Amino acid sequence: MLKHLPLNLKYHLNGVVTALSGLLAVVAPWWRGPGLELAGLTPDWPLIWVVCWSVRRNAWQGAVAGITLGLLQDALTSPRPTHALGLAVVGILTARLQKQRYMQEDFISVALIVFGMVVIAETLMALQWMLLNTSVWQGSDGLNLTGMETFLDGLWNQIQSSGTISGDGPRSLESIWWNHQRNTLTSAILSSLWAPALYLPLSHWWQSQERDAKEI
Amino acid sequence: MNRLRQWWMHYGLGVLLSALALGVALGLRQTQGSLLVELYSWITTPARPPVDPAVVLNQAATRELQALVAELQYQNRELKRLLQFTEQMPSSGIPAAVVGRSADHWWQQLTLSRGSQQGVKVGDVVMAPGGLIGRVESVTPNTSRVLLISDPTSRVGVMLSRSRHMGVMRGTGTQNAILEFFDKDPKVEVGDVVVTSGLSSFYPAGVVVGTVRAVNLDASPAPQATVELSAPLGLLEWGLIYSYAQTSTPQP
Repeated sequence: MLKHLPLNLKYHLNGVVTALSGLLAVVAPWWRGPGLELAGLTPDWPLIWVVCWSVRRNAWQGAVAGITLGLLQDALTSPRPTHALGLAVVGILTARLQKQRYMQEDFISVALIVFGMVVIAETLMALQWMLLNTSVWQGSDGLNLTGMETFLDGLWNQIQSSGTISGDGPRSLESIWWNHQRNTLTSAILSSLWAPALYLPLSHWWQSQERDAKEI
Repeated sequence: MNRLRQWWMHYGLGVLLSALALGVALGLRQTQGSLLVELYSWITTPARPPVDPAVVLNQAATRELQALVAELQYQNRELKRLLQFTEQMPSSGIPAAVVGRSADHWWQQLTLSRGSQQGVKVGDVVMAPGGLIGRVESVTPNTSRVLLISDPTSRVGVMLSRSRHMGVMRGTGTQNAILEFFDKDPKVEVGDVVVTSGLSSFYPAGVVVGTVRAVNLDASPAPQATVELSAPLGLLEWGLIYSYAQTSTPQP
């Protein structure tokens, strides 16, 4: 049906389709359907979208897309730590991979890239959590009982109110790295398995756009 | 000048579009994505079953009721002695459907389908069949975001229903949470019911949280217990939002 659209209309439609698909990718984790959930985790749709976008584009475009989707994801979870850093790095790295030169252009290589990128993005998140841990934290569930001060002293030194971070207290180190391990393994597998579901339609659309642009 | 124009012809559109994308994303981030949540909630309205408070109450898990009985019996005994107990929990909550789950892997959150227009406020307490599930951390007109007690950054002041030993419970991102005791030698056994403590400033006292599954008295710096949360956080389809005024603020 799309083939019969006037070419300039299709050109204008491109921006809308791109923006909408990006938004959908950010919102997608809200919904947990059958096959989308493994150990409570869901595919990292924003990351898959950034990889699909960056595969055939340059590093700047990859970075802009990464930061944009990262900020959107921050909006839906919590701004600290930011997701923009990880996704920007993913966008730049994917663009710099020069996939056409080394690998075949197919969904299997995209799945492989997604697998690697999930590991990188999650590691960057874990490192940010480490940094946040050493900095200050908003108030915690106060248990104001005399005699507990000595025990709580150490805790309170870390938990001083400043800024607007959600949550009550810092993540413990073991929890950060345990979470990192779980997120990385589960999400990398799940995301790379689901990557073609997003990659195929998007790359089809963008490639048809490129063909049309040449025709014009 | 000409060069500048040529450059603009070449890259102008890209620069403008990048600025637009970043601007919109930044705007959404500053408003905590309220526009997106509202839109999503509006679109998925037909797919959401209506929440019936009667059904909601009927479905309350037997496990929670049993635990509640034990808790109430104890409180009753205490009340007869103390006569200073103040009721903090309002009788009726706002039922709300679960619209969305956490948008990434690091946070344990839920989005509920009731917001400030229905009287939900930041800091409200959220319950579900099985007991406590979390606290409202942000609201939009028709949705609210809940930080679950299973989130690693969440801290709940709790105590054992049987021995009244207190501690702080933190989530691990799973159905199990870690309870860190204040006492060096708490009287704790596997199977003990864990409820929120009266010293918690964010949650009302005596709400069922879970049961002790394992105990580690040698843990450093304080004895620990693994608590299995009684509310099935992964399976929730609705929650009840109770407004709860904080009785005290954390003291540094």
